[in-house]
Amino acid sequence: MSSHTTTNTLSLSTFACAWCGLTVSAHAADGAPRNHCPSCLHSRHVRDRVEDGPSDCEGRMSPIAIAVLRTGDWMVIHRCVRCDELTSNPVCVDDNQLILMRMAVRPLAQPPFPLEAFGTL
Amino acid sequence: MSRNHSGRGQRRRRPQRHKDVLHTQGGHRANDFRCASCRLDVSLNAPGTAHRNHCPNCLASLHVDRKIPGDRDADCRGRMEALGMSVRTDGEWMIIHQCATCGELSANRIAGDDNPLALVRLALRPLADPKQASRALLTL
Repeated sequence: MSSHTTTNTLSLSTFACAWCGLTVSAHAADGAPRNHCPSCLHSRHVRDRVEDGPSDCEGRMSPIAIAVLRTGDWMVIHRCVRCDELTSNPVCVDDNQLILMRMAVRPLAQPPFPLEAFGTL
Repeated sequence: MSRNHSGRGQRRRRPQRHKDVLHTQGGHRANDFRCASCRLDVSLNAPGTAHRNHCPNCLASLHVDRKIPGDRDADCRGRMEALGMSVRTDGEWMIIHQCATCGELSANRIAGDDNPLALVRLALRPLADPKQASRALLTL
């Protein structure tokens, strides 16, 4: 049991967030691999989506939208600031809910048409 | 009676009537496209944009461009469904499309004649599900 714990501690890997500099463990509390910072939700373009291998861009990826799967789970859409690649990643349980909620209601803050007409529908 | 019968047998088929409606490539629908999702005939002139890339009624698109809008370089040709709504820093709404065939994502500006109800339904989709939204609000 103790040796098992030691191995886990030794293999514990972290990464530093490219935007806020927070040192984050590479795995979430439930063991799922983490691909974005839980504090500012920024990510890094290290995996090529098309060829499914390591990407040579290494650019910072900023969160731009929330998407909803058919199961009801939220996904964060990231966009690479260097090459404009889009990726979608599932949200973690310890992600910053304030930023998630801010992204979800962001379209309603600046609607392109008046929303008053929807009150009569 | 027999003459009548032979006359009917010898009668040539009337040639097909000439049609002046052009359904072929380059015809009257040369610049239009039919939506892959709701089958609406859509013209390419979109108010507010130079390049129409999704159906104004159901917001579905087609996977034909790879990187640059209008390059027609993708081999997939799959149907792209509206997945979510994003906002630029200047406040302009962008529809996030995901290809139903290959899973590729793309972001497209909304057009002036897009269905406002479909746009608002798409923007409200994260808040429509009570489980995730209330959990996010309760942990704030």
